[in-house]
Amino acid sequence: MSRNVLAQCALALAAVALPVFVKNDVVLTILVFSFLASILAVSFNLIFGITGQLSMFHAAAFGIGAYATYIAMHDLAVSFWTASALAAAFVVMVSLVIGAICFRFRLKAFYFAVVTLAFAEMARLVVVNWYSVTNGTLGINLSQRPVLAVLGRSITFESTLSWYYLALLALFATILVCGRCVDSWMGRCFAAIRLNDELGDALGINIFRYKLLAFGIGNMLAAFAGALYAYFLGSIQPAYLSVGQSLAIIAMVLLGGQRRVAAPVVGAIFLTLLPHIIDLSAEMRAVVHGAILIFAILLLPKGIVGTVETWVRRRAA
Amino acid sequence: MKCIRVLAAGLGLVAMSLGVSYAQETVPIGELEAQTGPLATYGWINHQGVRLAVEQINKAGGFEVAGKRYRLQLFAPDTRGNPQEALIELKQLLEQDHVQYVFGPFLSNVYDGVEAYATQNNGKFLMMGGATSMHAQLGKPGKDYLIRTWNWDGGPTGFGSAMVSYLKRKGVKRVAMLMQNDAAGKVLVDTYAKIFREQGIQLQVEMFEPGTKDFTAVLAKLAEKKPDYLFPGYADAVLYDIIRQATDSHLFTRFFLVRGSLAPCIKNKAAINDCIVYTPKYFKQAEKTEPKVKAFVAAYRAFYKRDFPYDVAPLCSSACYDHVHMLVAAMQKAGTVSDVAKVKAALMSMHYHGVWDISFHDNEEVFGFDVVDMHKGGAISVIHLDPRKPH
Amino acid sequence: MPQIVLGQLLNGAIVGTLYGILALGVTLTFSITGIVNFALGAFMMTGAYGTWYLTSVHGVPYGLAVPLATLGTAVIGLVADRALFRFTRNDLINGLLVSIGLIGVFDNVTLMIWTSTPHTIDVPVGGSVAVFGVYLPRMKLIVCAVLAAVVGATYFALRHTWAGRAAHSYAQAPEAAELMGVRTEFLQSSVFVYSTALAGLGGALYASLYSIDPTIGGPFVLKAIEGAILAGIGSVLGALIGGIILGVTESVGALFLPLSFGNAYGLVFLVLILLFRPNGLFAGRR
Repeated sequence: MSRNVLAQCALALAAVALPVFVKNDVVLTILVFSFLASILAVSFNLIFGITGQLSMFHAAAFGIGAYATYIAMHDLAVSFWTASALAAAFVVMVSLVIGAICFRFRLKAFYFAVVTLAFAEMARLVVVNWYSVTNGTLGINLSQRPVLAVLGRSITFESTLSWYYLALLALFATILVCGRCVDSWMGRCFAAIRLNDELGDALGINIFRYKLLAFGIGNMLAAFAGALYAYFLGSIQPAYLSVGQSLAIIAMVLLGGQRRVAAPVVGAIFLTLLPHIIDLSAEMRAVVHGAILIFAILLLPKGIVGTVETWVRRRAA
Repeated sequence: MKCIRVLAAGLGLVAMSLGVSYAQETVPIGELEAQTGPLATYGWINHQGVRLAVEQINKAGGFEVAGKRYRLQLFAPDTRGNPQEALIELKQLLEQDHVQYVFGPFLSNVYDGVEAYATQNNGKFLMMGGATSMHAQLGKPGKDYLIRTWNWDGGPTGFGSAMVSYLKRKGVKRVAMLMQNDAAGKVLVDTYAKIFREQGIQLQVEMFEPGTKDFTAVLAKLAEKKPDYLFPGYADAVLYDIIRQATDSHLFTRFFLVRGSLAPCIKNKAAINDCIVYTPKYFKQAEKTEPKVKAFVAAYRAFYKRDFPYDVAPLCSSACYDHVHMLVAAMQKAGTVSDVAKVKAALMSMHYHGVWDISFHDNEEVFGFDVVDMHKGGAISVIHLDPRKPH
Repeated sequence: MPQIVLGQLLNGAIVGTLYGILALGVTLTFSITGIVNFALGAFMMTGAYGTWYLTSVHGVPYGLAVPLATLGTAVIGLVADRALFRFTRNDLINGLLVSIGLIGVFDNVTLMIWTSTPHTIDVPVGGSVAVFGVYLPRMKLIVCAVLAAVVGATYFALRHTWAGRAAHSYAQAPEAAELMGVRTEFLQSSVFVYSTALAGLGGALYASLYSIDPTIGGPFVLKAIEGAILAGIGSVLGALIGGIILGVTESVGALFLPLSFGNAYGLVFLVLILLFRPNGLFAGRR
């Protein structure tokens, strides 16, 4: 356990120190995107890997978070931070409603996937058609930048370097939050639900409440990721809510690993980096995504991190 | 496109071994298009044209500006239609490859993703692409880099009103529009609703979710009010199904198209009374009547060693073959390869006669185009319209 | 007005048989192998492309191309079963993820080979007939008849042949069936392959009615699942009826409601059904 902690600290330090040595804007930009993807992957893993619920709603939470942040900033004239907090709260409310509907009816894992898929599609259709609010299929171009007032000075997040640290900080925060959840009594309930929810129920665990909790927390973090991503790229598009986006997140988690809180980061960084290392055609890359899904399920069920851990443990024994 | 760099390097080596004086400087140019993926048609043909032009210019020994000789170096990464990747690639083009002239993007969602960064670099480069979402940004403060290299349906130099006038001259009173419910479809509906209203033709609009295959129900609904023409969606995929189902159910026999090709009409010609199609150029005829077009087709065949893609070639009216030549001519007129403001001024004031007849109006391209009219039985008549001339 | 509704009722029923054949594949796969094979849409697309390739590139007559393409799809289905789905029996989540991964592979390999340009085949039987004042293309009527016949044949086969009864008994009580000598692994593989063949046939017929591109499978399989759930899984005829109900609702609905929300109605339906009949709907399965 402590070896793990040491490794994670070392990686964290390396990530913080990296911009001192690497000044290349392109590399830093790619890393910002991978950190944001990692937030999505880690938060999804809380619902899927830890609690065992396959949600197809994650991309929708991501997209709604982005749109809601813009709407809050635009209509209520609040700061980015307030707006994203409001957006996250909104997504939590939506998640509670959807989660309540699904878990109340004791939907088994598979049907939960199909129902969340249906809700995600409905959310996307609403976004696409509600022109007055979301500008529909035309998307929204953002001109504002997040501004942070700290110690009497204000920092505008415009440069890639500033975003690097913001995204990294957000990722640390996400891993911290998820890690605290998993290490607590909450985490034990999540694990019980994953292993056998009916048994957990028989033992007195309120599975309804904990499923809802995992679903809510996971989606809340996805909403924050959506806000950050939108303001970094400068554009919000309905494609954020697409099923394809959800599938990309699933691929990252399956590739990285499901049992450890931070394992999906490996998958996220790998998949974000991939197109810039290997110049595959769009079709080939989608084939690779599909193949990852298949082979991760059949051959590498523990993901990269899990498999490496098992290998290390076997070596040590 | 890494093979481009290899090819350029290879050509350089060959030229050097042939003793050609290559103490030339290079002007790096970039192309930011989706060359693979479901929406790759535009990027594909644009890349074909740009590459052909670059090779032609370099093979002729480059070009001369203010007494110095230059050749072009093309960087053409594949955006795959993904805004996130396009942003990274644009950063690479501007910061690492030192490109000052970028052709593309054609896809609106890609442009939306790179817009913020491009605006940050205003004044350092020119972006010449065909994306619809560029239109609203043209000429705005801080957007001097932006040039839209495709014509626009609406406005005084738009081709839309020329098309609708053609329809009006046929005595049409009522048109039914059936469009995809996506960004491009929405823009078309907004633009044409206005034009039809201005010209006094009644318009009924229905929009469908992209991916719909069976239109019989909505066609029946539209046919109830007995419109004269059907104005269907904008991609060949959808056009074929709509036209086929419309003719199969005996609901419509007359069609009006401002996007897509004549192919869907030809496939259903037995049941069609009239099919009016806007096309930037009807190559099958232009190849015989216009010498520059003939040369272009021949050069394409010789260079790529495959048949000329007649069906997608009309899309080469945007950020393609002509535009590279135009850029070089602009640099020569401005007397500089690095002062983008001067090059842009030269570009905006030019009237270029290549495969197309191109000029710019308010940062947006205008060109003469063809209206192909397929009559009952398949007979085709072509008329040439120019939005710069009264119609 | 009533005439236009009648026309769409008929059209919807015809389109519904396409949903129905795929729904039948979904039903059979679920009953016997315990997973929902989302990739059936991709198999349908394969059947469509196979048919197009045979007729348009090699000039094979349509009547011959259809069974060939169906067979080809079944072979691919066999490979998929032996290599992949054999390991996800009764594991809904893994089966879902593997089938989704397979969709990505199928769709994009097709995209790589044949690009996103839509393809069409020459219509084998052209022309339309007037039915109650509405013009229906002959080809649509033929497709409807063929698919209904296939579903009917499947129904009878399940009832009256040994293999069919074995499948039936397995669906109801797997261990008992095994004890009675039913070779379960063989049965599961066969049913899986048969459903991919059904999807391939659906695709082959689809190609005669609509243009094809690599993405046609996705929306279709979702509708097939909706149709299968709607009228009761586990029932062969139910799958066809469910598909028809969905087709009719869509077509008649398009007359009165905005089409841009078209898919949403089916989705709402799906959610409601899954909420109120989550386990009971899959009759005959635990």
